[in-house]
Parts: sequence; C-alpha cells; structure tokens
Amino acid sequence: MNMVESTVSVGAPAIRPIRARLTLTVLGFGALTIVTCLLAPLVGSTSISLARVFDRSIPFSDNVDAQIFFIARMPRVLAGAVTGAALAAAGVVFQAMLRNPLATPFTLGVSAGASLGAMSAIVLGAAVSFGPIAVVPLASLLGAAIAAAIVYRLATLRDRAMSTTVLLLAGVTLNSFFSALILFLQYIANFAQVYRAMRWVMGDLDVGSFQPVLAALPLIVIAFVLFALLPSSLNLLSVGTDAATARGVDVARAQRLSFVSASLATAAAVSLAGPIGFVGIVVPHLVRLLVGVDHRVVLPASALFGAAFLVACDVGARTLLAPLEIPVGVITALLGGPFFLWLLVRRG
Amino acid sequence: MAAGSTRLTRRAVVVLIASAAIVARGVDPRAAEAPKRIVSLVPALTEMLYAIGAGPQVVGVSSFDDFPPQVKSLPRVGALVDPDMERILSLRPDLVIVYGSQTTVETQLARAGIRAYNYRHAGLAGIFSTIRDLGRTVGRERESERLAQQIQQRLDSVQARVATQPKIRTLLVFERDLGSLRGLYASGGVGFMHDILLIAGGTNVFADVPREAVQPSVETILARAPSAILEVRPTGLPRERIPDERRVWDSLPSIPAVRDGRIRIVTDDYLVTPGPRVAQAAEAIARLIHPEAFK
Amino acid sequence: MLRGSDLSYGYARGRDRSGFSLRDVTIEVPRGSLTGLLGPNGCGKTTLLRLLAGILTPESGTVTLKERPLKDLSRREIARQLALVPQETHPAFDYTALEMVLMGRHPHLGLFELEGPHDLRVAHNALATTGTDHLADRAYMTLSGGEKQRVVIASALAQSSDVLLLDEPTASLDLGYQLDVASLLSELNRERGVTMLLATHDLNLAASVCDRLILMREGRVIAQGQTTDVLTASRVRDIYGVVADVRHHERAGHLTVTPVSRAQ
Repeated sequence: MNMVESTVSVGAPAIRPIRARLTLTVLGFGALTIVTCLLAPLVGSTSISLARVFDRSIPFSDNVDAQIFFIARMPRVLAGAVTGAALAAAGVVFQAMLRNPLATPFTLGVSAGASLGAMSAIVLGAAVSFGPIAVVPLASLLGAAIAAAIVYRLATLRDRAMSTTVLLLAGVTLNSFFSALILFLQYIANFAQVYRAMRWVMGDLDVGSFQPVLAALPLIVIAFVLFALLPSSLNLLSVGTDAATARGVDVARAQRLSFVSASLATAAAVSLAGPIGFVGIVVPHLVRLLVGVDHRVVLPASALFGAAFLVACDVGARTLLAPLEIPVGVITALLGGPFFLWLLVRRG
Repeated sequence: MAAGSTRLTRRAVVVLIASAAIVARGVDPRAAEAPKRIVSLVPALTEMLYAIGAGPQVVGVSSFDDFPPQVKSLPRVGALVDPDMERILSLRPDLVIVYGSQTTVETQLARAGIRAYNYRHAGLAGIFSTIRDLGRTVGRERESERLAQQIQQRLDSVQARVATQPKIRTLLVFERDLGSLRGLYASGGVGFMHDILLIAGGTNVFADVPREAVQPSVETILARAPSAILEVRPTGLPRERIPDERRVWDSLPSIPAVRDGRIRIVTDDYLVTPGPRVAQAAEAIARLIHPEAFK
Repeated sequence: MLRGSDLSYGYARGRDRSGFSLRDVTIEVPRGSLTGLLGPNGCGKTTLLRLLAGILTPESGTVTLKERPLKDLSRREIARQLALVPQETHPAFDYTALEMVLMGRHPHLGLFELEGPHDLRVAHNALATTGTDHLADRAYMTLSGGEKQRVVIASALAQSSDVLLLDEPTASLDLGYQLDVASLLSELNRERGVTMLLATHDLNLAASVCDRLILMREGRVIAQGQTTDVLTASRVRDIYGVVADVRHHERAGHLTVTPVSRAQ
C-alpha cells in the first residue's frame, strides 16, 4: 500500500542523474590528475634531457638526469598526489561528520599531535633513536595516533554516538595544549633544530625516495577503503542524525568510521609531508562549486582534484623562484587564503 | 747639616718617583678600563677571552659554553633567546658580551650602567677582527695580536700543505633529519665554515649562493654532484649511529661522493665555533678531504 | 500497526537537563489512523516518537511494528516501513529539494547502489504529492518555511513506508502554511491510507485532522482514544492547567479548543 509508487507521470529531472554525474566527474577529474602527474616530473629547477633519462645504455648510477627524474622528482610527485588526495578526502569527511563546511582535517587535533611528535623527534630524537630509521615521520605518526585516541575517547565517553560538540571542543583544546608543548620544545631547542622545526611545519614533499611514500601508503589505502563505505551515510548524516537513523543509517558506526578513516588519512599525510594547510578545505569547496554537494560525487572528486592540486602547487613551489624553493605549504596558503576569503564574502 | 739634606733629598726623590708611578698608572686610560668581571653570552668569545689570558675575569657564561674546561664550573646566564638578566646583574659584571641582535639586553645593561660588547657574527676575517677588538676592550692587546698571528700562521700552513692537491668539490652539511636526507641544511658561499673549507683545499658546491645556509632539494644535490660530503653535526649524534647515517646517502648513487665513499660525518663542537680553535677546525677538515696530504 | 507496551525511558545519564523520563507508556496507533500525540512541552512526546522510530532503545517495554518487535528488525527494515519527519531540518550543505527527497530512498538501496529511474520516479511522485515538484532543482535552504516542510514530508514519503511519524510539523509555520500541511496530512491519510502519528502542542490542529488522540503529561499517558471522546474540557484542564471551552465548530467541521483562563 505504498502511496507514492502509483503511476503518476512527472517531468524528466533537470539535473543529470547521479550515475551519469559520478561517471563524468571521475573520468574528468581522473584525467586531470593523470595529466598533472605525468607532466610534473618533466619540470624542475634543473633542466634535464628526457632522452638521457630513458637512455638504457648509461648505467643508472652514473645517469644524473635519470636519477633526478626517478629519485628526486617522481617520488615527489607521488608524495604530492597521495598527500593531496588524503587531505582533500579527509576534509570532505570531517566537514560532513561535523556538519560544518568550515571544518578542516586539522580541526580535531590530529595534525597538532603529528606536529608535536615531529618536534619531539627533532629536538629529542638523537637521544631515543634506534637504527637507521627516519625518526621524524614515525614520531609524527605516533603523535597523531595519540591525539586521535584522546579525542575519540573524550567524544565517546558518554555514549556510543559521538557528540559533535564534544568532538570540536576536544579538538580545539588539544590544538591549544599541543601548541603550547610545541612552543616549549622550540624554546629549549638550539638554532638548527628550531629552523628545522619551522621548515617542517611549512610542508615538504621532497621525500628523496619512494620509501617514505610506500611507508605511508598502507595507512592511506586503508583510509580510502573506509572512505568508500561512507558517502551515502555522509549525505544523510549532514541533514540530521535522527533523520539519518530513521532512514536506516547506523549513526554511531558511521561517525566512528568517519573519524577513524579521516584521522588515519590525515595522520599519514602529515607524517609524510608535514601539515600542509588549505588543501583540506579549498579543494572540497572548489569541487562542490563544480559538481554539487552530493558526497557520493564530492568525495571521489575531491580526492582526485586534491592530488592534482597539490602536485601543481609543488611544481610551482620548486620552479617559481628556482633555484630557491618555496615551501609548498606557503603556496597552498597563498592560493587558499584569498580563495577562502572570496568564499566567505560570497556566502555572506 | 749636609747629611740631613741628603737624606731629605733621597726621600724626596723616592716620594717623587713613587708619585710619578702612581700618577702614571692612574693616567693610563686602558689600565683604568680593563674589566674585572666579564659575563659572556657568546661561546666563541668566551674561548677568545681564555685564549688571550682574560679567563680569570670571566664570572659567567652562556648555557651552551663548554670550552675551555674551566667554564664548566661557572654560573650560566642563558643564551641567545633566553638571556637571564637577573642572573647577569647578580654577577655584578663590568662587561657583558652579547649578540648583536640582543638589543633589549643591551638597553637594560645601559640603564644599569654596565658596558656591553656587541658581537656580530661574520666570516673568517670577522674572527680575526673580533679577537683584536676584544683584546683592546679587555686590555690585552698584545696577547690578542699574538693569538691572531698564531691562528693565521696555522691556517697558512694548512693551506700550504694542501696547495698542490686538486680542489675537492664538497657538500658541507650542517644538519639533517636522523635516518633520512630530509630537512638538510648545507653551507652556502658565505660564512667562516665556507672560508675554512676553501683554506682546507675544498670548493663549496654552493659557493654561488650568497647565504650562510642553504636548504637544497634532492634534485639540486644530485645536480651539483659533490665529490665529497662532509657532515658537521655537533649536536645530538651518538658515535654508534655514524655508519648508519652514512648509509642514508646510498639512495643517491650518482653522486661522486657516494660512489667513491667520500662521506665523512664529524661531531666535534669546535668545528663550528667561530673562535680561536678555527685553525684546528681547518686542519681537521683538511685531513678529512685530503688525507693523502697528511701522511 | 504500531504499538508501544510499557515503555520506560530515562535521561538518568544527564543528557536532558530536566532529568525527564517516560514511565510505563502503553499506546497504540491503529492501521490507517491519524493519531495525535498531545501534551505540554517536556511531557515526553519527542522521546516517545524517537522510541517508536527505533532511534532510542527503551529501558523497559517493547515497541512492535506490525506485530514484530523493533529489536528483531534491522535498521533498514524499520526504515522501509516507518518514516520520521523530525522537528527541525537544517542540512549542513546546499542540497536541492530533489536531493533531499532522494535521501528517503536510502533504505531501499544496497551499499554501493545508486538511485535508478524507479527511485527518481518515486521521488518526483513524492514531490508532486506535496505540491513541490516545481521546486525539485531549487536549493532547499532557499525555500520558504512552508515549502521546506512540504519537501521534508516528501522525503519521508519517498521512503514508501506505511507509517509516518511527525514531530511538530506545523510548529514554525505561518497560518496559511499550517492549514496547507494539515490538509496535506489529512489527504495522505484518507486517500493513500498512510498511518500517522503526529506529535503536536497545537490542540486545534490535532482536533482538526486527528481521529485518535493520545494525551500525555510528565512522562505518562493520561488518556487515549477517539478524539471526540478524549478531547474534553476537563482533560484540557488536567493536562495544561487551563480552563478552556471545547466545542464542535460548525464551519470548521471539527472540535475546537478555546482557552479561557488559568485554572485556580
């Protein structure tokens, strides 16, 4: 006795149905990302000859051009793509989960934890390091995990469903507290350490080999697998939790999944390249302007566009003032700041 | 009456000579100014003070001072970012050696009527001029001149020793992350480390960069292709970690320094202190990049 | 159709500042009825609705939907048979009216399934039923209060469920829109046979459209039954502490409640 399934003929929908939109978007942004990633290693502060790069007759250990291409540039482009995708997607998920378009991957303190971990490694690292392991990314990941765990625990203290208010408060508190600890560490550090810390905070995709990217990849892959389960729940969650439950969404589970996946992606990205700002908020908003607000389209589109965006920013970072390198976080801020202002003015 | 007047004359002459001596000492401006209680916030200058014999006048040093051994028992008064004014004042100094950028400290000292010596970090030539200038300030001109010449002679002999060797293109690294090549700081074409490298028979791959420190990308390092890598890591690197840290460079095999295994990591403070041991530093670096010249 | 037996629920954990609880509530919403849930603010109407929708779990007692206990049904199964129109709807993003309504199709779609032509038809039918089809591509946030409420009702209708729970559907609407929504609900109930439970503090709205009423006060059910039997002056005085005139209005065609004074 379903009253609305009677055959009332209605006009065709004016906006393309979701299936077509999703396909078009993924193909379009996917193409953009692939083209960007293919062109990026061709550009840099040193001029290299592509012919020499692929000249098999020169042994690799003697081929400087090939080394620049495969060791310096390609891992850097890959790191940029992976980090950009992770931060953009995490931004989308946090914005939906917190029901706030102004949320960023750094709102809930995960990045502050990562920064504290990195600072600790930079200032105290030699005392506790072991073996030829890169201490800073590892400590950064640990810091992020601790921060996320604290926020999670606080938010689920009262009951299974996370309160967005508690989440936001816990995140803000953690940000402040960890920032204070970071300042203290910088105070007791020597010049070189302070410089190094400042440089880390500005973001750095110059990974120098595939190893750091491969180390971060499993976490990001897991995060994206979890992301794939979320989009329709995110739509419903962002309208209201009661309505979402009444439509069959397990709200507590969706919130936990959102928090864990987005925190994982953010932690991995920040450990790899430092806290690069604005990607997590500019890309989702830009994408929404282009494809609408349905998360089933926005999430994959943001991941793809985030990758292209950060790779492009990094190309700018290493070529605009060559041979001097501008930290990539400065580029994203210079682009993102004005864009964000424009967004706010437009809204108001 | 002749004996009495002779005794009087003798006495008068003694008094006269004595007064002249007293007056002369009182009139000598430098003798009157020589500081008796010196506080130094700059480790390199603390070393200079001891090297020119003004060590006994040093009553307070910075938190980073550790040479010569006598400073270990002295009170600490902070450093560049955290100078402790109260501590400084409590030591009742008549001369405080401060960094050029510590303008608030200088102002406070001026208000307290305490003399400040303003140190501005410069290249190798700056070390010499500072030694001489400091010598003038503490009334040890002769000793400072002698020290300056000793250092110069030693530097000259190092330079002579490696003169016939071919110059080695060197990457001089100040700092990088443990276990990775990220966050790498290298010497640019300015500063005393760069100057010492030249004396030690090397050339700086970043000699064209007009700054003391450079943050090169991996691409830039590959492009510059140094023949030797010298890492001067004074702080925080335990000896046992050095072989592992050397192996980190294996990810860039096209660099001649990596290919030929010419990577040296050293962890002594004096190598980066722009003070009296700079000639020692030059010799140490020369031995590292031109071992054949010292056999 | 929808039954609650001996339901008790407490906010002992402190979420609700008034420390309110529901006590031994037994109610019935018969198939095809348009039942009103009345009572002063804080009497537990919203809590009861949320318990009946399966959003909250009662501390004791059971809710049954078509004779099956809610706890035996999956969330999706419940959603296919029961839809909820919450008191307020504030989407965080600029969804269009159509996108809002399509969200109602969620319980009918698989995990990675996207809406197909059938779902679109259902959505447009729902919009047409509430007279908002022409607003399909408009941004929800830009609609008027009445239009918004009708779109929300449409999205509940798109769930193709047999039962509709509504929490204060006319609370923030202008008089004209109140009448619109009231007649829409009446029509849906009469012509499409949708079973409805309507929580409201508007006595006259309840009197105009509901054939059955449940009266609550301080977490307990005071009376339930046919509107004409239950809505009396003494009940109104009992529940609201107000002396009122309850009489059948010729022109309106239903009971009306006119408050006169505070009870002594």
